[in-house]
Amino acid sequence: MTALLEVRSLEVEFDRGVPVLDGVDVEVRAGEILGVIGETGSGKTTLARAVVGLAPVVAGRIAVDGRDRAGLRGRALREVRRAGAVQYMFQDPLRSLDPDLTVLRLVGQPLAVAGVRAAERRPRVLEALDLVGLDHALADRRPGLLSGGQRQRVALARAIVTRPRLLLADEPVSALDASNRNHVLRLLDDLRRELDLAVVLISHDLESLAGVADRLAVLYRGRIVESGPATEVLRRPLHPYTALLAASAPGGGAARRAELAVLRGPAPDRPDRSACAFAHRCPFADAACAPRPTDTTPLPGRTVACHRAADWRAHLPS
Amino acid sequence: MTIAPSGSERPVLEVEGLRVTVGRGRAEAVREVSFTVRPGQAVGLVGESGSGKTLTCRAVLGLPVAGVEADADTLALGGTDLRGLDGRGWQRLRGSRLGAVFQDPGSFLNPSLTVGRQLAEPLRLVGGLSRAEARRRAVELLDSVGLRDPETVYDRYPHELSGGMLQRVLIAIAVSGDPELLVADEATTALDTVVQAEVLDLLARLREERGLGLLLVSHDLAVVADATDRLLVLYAGEVVEDGPTAEVVAAPAHPYTEALLTVAGLGGHARGHLPVIPGRPPAPGTAGPGCRFAPRCAYATEACRLAPIALIPRADGRKVRCLHAK
Amino acid sequence: MSPAPRRPVVRGSLTVLAAVALLALFGGRLAPLDPLAQDTAHLLQGPGAAHLLGTDYLGRDVLSRLLAGTGLSVAAAAEAVGAALLLGVLPGLASVRFSAPLAWVSLRAVDALMTLPFTLFAIAAVGVLGNGLHQAMLALGVLLAPLFFRVTRAAALGLDRAQYVEAAELMGAGRLTVLRTHVWRKVLPTVAVTAAHALATALLTVASLTFLGIGVQPPAPTWGGMLASDLGFLAQQPWAPAVPTALIMLTVGALNLLADALRDAEPAERTPDAPSDTVVPAPLRESEEDRDDHRAVRV
Repeated sequence: MTALLEVRSLEVEFDRGVPVLDGVDVEVRAGEILGVIGETGSGKTTLARAVVGLAPVVAGRIAVDGRDRAGLRGRALREVRRAGAVQYMFQDPLRSLDPDLTVLRLVGQPLAVAGVRAAERRPRVLEALDLVGLDHALADRRPGLLSGGQRQRVALARAIVTRPRLLLADEPVSALDASNRNHVLRLLDDLRRELDLAVVLISHDLESLAGVADRLAVLYRGRIVESGPATEVLRRPLHPYTALLAASAPGGGAARRAELAVLRGPAPDRPDRSACAFAHRCPFADAACAPRPTDTTPLPGRTVACHRAADWRAHLPS
Repeated sequence: MTIAPSGSERPVLEVEGLRVTVGRGRAEAVREVSFTVRPGQAVGLVGESGSGKTLTCRAVLGLPVAGVEADADTLALGGTDLRGLDGRGWQRLRGSRLGAVFQDPGSFLNPSLTVGRQLAEPLRLVGGLSRAEARRRAVELLDSVGLRDPETVYDRYPHELSGGMLQRVLIAIAVSGDPELLVADEATTALDTVVQAEVLDLLARLREERGLGLLLVSHDLAVVADATDRLLVLYAGEVVEDGPTAEVVAAPAHPYTEALLTVAGLGGHARGHLPVIPGRPPAPGTAGPGCRFAPRCAYATEACRLAPIALIPRADGRKVRCLHAK
Repeated sequence: MSPAPRRPVVRGSLTVLAAVALLALFGGRLAPLDPLAQDTAHLLQGPGAAHLLGTDYLGRDVLSRLLAGTGLSVAAAAEAVGAALLLGVLPGLASVRFSAPLAWVSLRAVDALMTLPFTLFAIAAVGVLGNGLHQAMLALGVLLAPLFFRVTRAAALGLDRAQYVEAAELMGAGRLTVLRTHVWRKVLPTVAVTAAHALATALLTVASLTFLGIGVQPPAPTWGGMLASDLGFLAQQPWAPAVPTALIMLTVGALNLLADALRDAEPAERTPDAPSDTVVPAPLRESEEDRDDHRAVRV
C-alpha cells in the first residue's frame, strides 16, 4: 500500500538561511497514526503547518494521495482546502474556535464554506458530534461554556466533518489532564479505524503518543533523528535523544534516573563543530561526529541518524 | 525523595481545616484540607482540574481571587499565624519567606526589563544590597538554578529565553528571598519532557541544599510521584487520601487514587491501553450528601451515598476517605 | 466589574436619549407657538404664562424654538456621524489587508486629518463649498472618519491574526466570509462605542458652528444658534443661555455615559464564561488553557 501523505526532503525557512525544517522525510498510510515527538522549537508544528500550506516551503515535496500540494497557490489552494481531504487541528481550541459561534455553526463551518446547504449541514454536524461522543444538547452552546475536553472534541468534530483522509493534530491533548487525554486519544484511535483516517499526531509528551501511535518520528532541531514502530522505538531507542526523552518521562523510578544521569552527562571528546543536530548536547559525541549523519536502517522499518548508533548503548547502565 | 521528614522539626507550613468558598452562593470548593510541610520535605497536591488544588495553593500563598473566600483553623508559616494578614503583609511574606512558581513563567515577568534586573531589583530594595552586590548575587542565583552562562542570561529580555529557562529564572526569583516554603503550582506542566525532568531535579536539589519545604501542585500523578515525599489526593475539594508518596503510589487505598494511577500510566508504555475515569467531578455545592466520588466509583455501594465519609487515619500513618478502602 | 451597578446609568442615558429622539421627530409639532413668529411687543421676557420659558430678543417663544430646534441639531449631528462611519469603517476593515506601503500612506493621511481642528476645518469647508448645513456636516464627517478608521483597523488587525481566522482560511473561506462570520461581530461593539462618542462631539460642534453662524441659516432654530443669540443679551437676561446649554449638556452627557457603559460591558461579553464545572474561577483557569503559541515555535 502506498502512503497517503508523503513528505520528501522538506525544507522550511521563516528567515533566510535559518531552516526550521531541514530535510524531513515522513510517510503516513491510511488508517495509520504517526506520532511526531519533539521539544518546543523542534519544528513539529511547522511540519504540520507546511503540509496544509501555512509555512514557507523552500524545497522538497509534500504529496497527499500522490498529488503535490507544496506548489499550490491562490484559487487552486482554496479549492483543495474546500474539498477538506486534509484537516489541521490547532493546538488550542479556545483560540481556534470563534467564541461567538455556536458548536453547530463551528462544526458546520467547513461544510458551509464548501457550499453545503444548511439543511444538509445539520445532520452531518450531528453525525460528527456523535462520532466524537458529544451530546447533541451541546450544539447550541458557545465554546466558552464547554470544558477543556469538550472543546477539544468540538475541534475534532470540525476536523472530521468533511470526512478527511488525513488529519494533522497539533498537541491535541497537551492541555488536558490524564483522564481527558486518554479520552481524546481513544477517540483518535477509533476514528482512524472507522474513517480509515491517516493521522499525524504531534506531541511533546511521550506518554500520549505511546498509547496510540503506530509509528513514531522523533524530531530534533528540524531533522528526524529516529523513526520506527512506536513500541520498538520506545523499548529500545536507537538515537541518544530518543533515549533522553524516554528516560525523562516522569514516574520512571530509579532505573530511569541512572540512565538519565548518563544521557545528561558530559561528552569527553565532543567535537568543536558538528553537522549533527544533537552533537552539542550528546554525551557520546566524539571526533567521528563532525559530518552530518545520514539516515541508516539498522533494523527493518527503523531509521536513525546517528554516527554512534551502533555502540552508544554500551555506555548505559545495564 | 531521599530526605526523610524528621518528626521533631517544626513544620514550615501548617494548614488545618482549610475552607474555600466560591461565588455568591458561597459554595464550598475546598473543605477540611489539612496538611503540614516540614523543612526539606516535598508535599504533593494532586487531582483533576476542579479538585480544589489550585484554590488550596492560592490560599496558602494569600493570593486573592475575585469571588473566592478562604478561611482556616490553622494557617501558619514557620509558626507565624497567617490568618487575618492583609494584602501588604502577604506581599512582604511572598517576597521573603514564601516563594512561588506557576505554570506560565512568561506572564510573571515584565517583558520590557532584562530578567537580571527583575531578579536584582528586590535584592536591592528589600535586601538592601548595593547595585553591584545585587548583580553579583543575582548572577549567583541564576547559576544556582542551573542556567548556563548566567552573566549573559542576566542581560537577556524574557522573550529571548525559552520556557524552561524562564521557569528557572522564576525559580531563582522565588528563592532569592531565602524562603522557607516554595509553592510550585503546575510549574512544569507546560514544559517539554526533558526540561520538565530537569526542573523537577532542580527543585529537589534546592530543597536539599536550602532545606526549604516544597508544595508541589499538579494534575499529573506521575510528576508528583517522582518528586514528593508525601502525597495528598484531592477530589471535589476534599482530601481523599493522604500518605507517604511511595506507599500511596505502590498501593493506593482510595479508588480515586487508584483511578488516577491507572490513567497516568506510570512508567508503562503499553500500546492501545488508554484507561479513562468516566464522568466528571461535581461542581461546588452540587455534590450529594455521601462520598463525592461515588457516582464515578466502581466500588460504590448504597452506604457510600447516604452520609458524609470521614477522612480516617490508619495504623500505617495514612488517611483515607473511603468505606471500602483497601 | 459586573455591568450590574452600571445599569441605572444605562437606563437613565437611554431615557434621556429617547426623549431627545422624540423631540427631534415631533418637537416641531409639540411647540405651543410658531418658533419663527416674532412678537415685538414682548421682547426678552422672563418665563410666564404666555411664554413658559420666556421670549428672545425678537420676541420669539423660547420653548417652541428649543423644541423645534432639536430636530435640526440632532439630524445634523447624525449626518456627520453617518458620513464618518461610511468613510471610516469600511476602509478601516479593508486596510487590514493593505500592502505595507499603502497602509503606511493611509495611516499618515489619517493622522494628518486627525490633527485638524473640527470647527476651523468646517469653516474652511463651508468657505469653499458654500454655507449650508450639509456642507458643514460633510466636513465634520470627514474629520471624524479617521477616528473610525483607526478604531476599526485596530480591532480588525488583532482579529486578523486570530487563530479562528486562520482556521477559516484553512477551510478555504474567502475574505468576505471571514469578515462576515468572524470579524464584523467583534468590531461592532467598538464601533458603537466610538459612534456614541462621535455623536456627542458632533452635537457640540453643530452647536458651536451655528453659534458662529455657520451651517444653519437664521431664522431656523437650533440649540447652538439660540445659545449664540442669548449670549448677546446676557445683560438683560443672564439666565437665558442656561436653557439651551442644559439641553446640550444633557444629551452629550447621556451619550458619553452610554458609550462608557458600552465599552465597560464589552469585554465581559467577550470573555468566555468559565466552563460548566465552575470550580475554578476563570482567571485561574486561563493559564492552564493558554498554552504556547505555534508562532513562537521558530527555532
